[in-house]
Amino acid sequence: MDFEIIFDNLGLYVEGMWLTLELVSLSLLAGFILAVPMAIMRVSKNYFIAAPVRLFVYIFRGTPLLVQIYIIYYGLGQFDAVKDSFAWPFFKEAYFCCLFAFALNTGAYTVEILRGAIAGTPFGEIEAAVSVGMSRILMLRRIILPSAFRRALPAYGNEVIFMLHGTSLASIITLVDLTGAARIVNSRYYSPYEAYLTAAVFYMGLTFTLVWLFKKLEFKWFAHLRPRKETV
Amino acid sequence: MEIPLCFAEFERTKALILKIITISPLTSNFGIEMGSDKVALFVEDIHKSFGSLEVLKGLSVTAHEGDVVAMLGSSGSGKSTFLRCINLLETPNRGRIVVSGEEIKLQEDRHGVNQILDKKQVERMRAKLAMVFQQFNLWSHMTILENIMEAPVHVLKVPKNEAREKAEFYLQKVGIFERKEYYPAHLSGGQQQRAAIARALAVEPEVMLFDEPTSALDPELVGEVLRVMKDLAEEGRTMLVVTHEMGFAREVSSRVIFLHEGSIEEDGPPSVVFETPKSERFRQFLAQNLK
Repeated sequence: MDFEIIFDNLGLYVEGMWLTLELVSLSLLAGFILAVPMAIMRVSKNYFIAAPVRLFVYIFRGTPLLVQIYIIYYGLGQFDAVKDSFAWPFFKEAYFCCLFAFALNTGAYTVEILRGAIAGTPFGEIEAAVSVGMSRILMLRRIILPSAFRRALPAYGNEVIFMLHGTSLASIITLVDLTGAARIVNSRYYSPYEAYLTAAVFYMGLTFTLVWLFKKLEFKWFAHLRPRKETV
Repeated sequence: MEIPLCFAEFERTKALILKIITISPLTSNFGIEMGSDKVALFVEDIHKSFGSLEVLKGLSVTAHEGDVVAMLGSSGSGKSTFLRCINLLETPNRGRIVVSGEEIKLQEDRHGVNQILDKKQVERMRAKLAMVFQQFNLWSHMTILENIMEAPVHVLKVPKNEAREKAEFYLQKVGIFERKEYYPAHLSGGQQQRAAIARALAVEPEVMLFDEPTSALDPELVGEVLRVMKDLAEEGRTMLVVTHEMGFAREVSSRVIFLHEGSIEEDGPPSVVFETPKSERFRQFLAQNLK
């Protein structure tokens, strides 16, 4: 184990970590914003509202993230329509293509997490909301979504960690995230052990922070599920 | 060909005349305080079917202000469905519902089945018909205080401070003020049901609907809920109570309705119906339930 390699390149790893964090937080944010309305559409009884979301989810859960990145980054450039469009300045950037693929991918998984949580709203609580004269929108905003987000939290925490590790695929298309930094170090010194182990330690640190954050959130949001003593 | 047409016309006119006759005492009362003569709830000819099963076969109830109507009946007699039809949790296939002079707008579709015509109106009317459920149905992610403030603040647009004061007042009334920061899951069934009653009170309804409010409670918790309901009755609130509590029906209610297979079998003041029941079925029901 050559610690000098690690210390000499610590700056590279830290920069990579920032890119990883940027990718994961932006894609999670965009994915979540996409997922909430889609989850509401997904639970609609109207087939024509629910079907497009089902198709979207099916496509993005049905294919590997790496394939999605390849199709978006390498594949879209084949089409003149894309190249001539206003979107090309974005899609020629690896960074944007990654964000785009990540956001849609995590969005698809989040839709399913939220769908399950919304469907699990106790029916009596919905009836109580109806019986005091709430409109459908108000009920969604005040009763169904707040209770669904709480139920979705553990599964969503899993998705966030999954996405953190998913961003390592960004290194495949030239981006220098944590894994990208490890690739550079490895190719420079031919020492995969030091290079990737360092990246792994960084990932574990990030995961640990996320787990801790979600534990805090759960503590705050699950007050109604805790035994009585702790709430008073 | 002429005759059925004429007949149909005659039927329509007859229905119209009947409608005018039935509405007129209501409209003439509307706005004029006549003590307990003011009609709070007028429900007429409610029919409800689930598929081919006809659950309600034309039920009518009129409740004056301050009336406490107890609805009895064995399970499957349609009493809960009837209650749920009144605040449109179920849409009745046929029938009229008038709450303190305002009729809920329903219209027959081409299958002759009622549809809600004006969603906004129904939402507004539901707040006048607050309901207390068998399973309490408190919103589990909110504290008791938040549960009670929810509808006044977000449905009725009452300012938050005012809603809080009112919520605390009702919490005191049902006797769980010191539990206001608790979550529903941290209360006993009886306390939860009293919170649910406070939640219903907070929208200041014209009529309160109780759907078997004590059926999910342990026997020793039934009393505390019934006591709160008795207080409300003595305050002069209009209540429709589906219940199995014979004691409550006999002592607190001003009127008892006995349902059997979707029809009203017995209807009258408790002193009369319990002492001299007219219907044989109600007599059997009493024999089974008053041991």
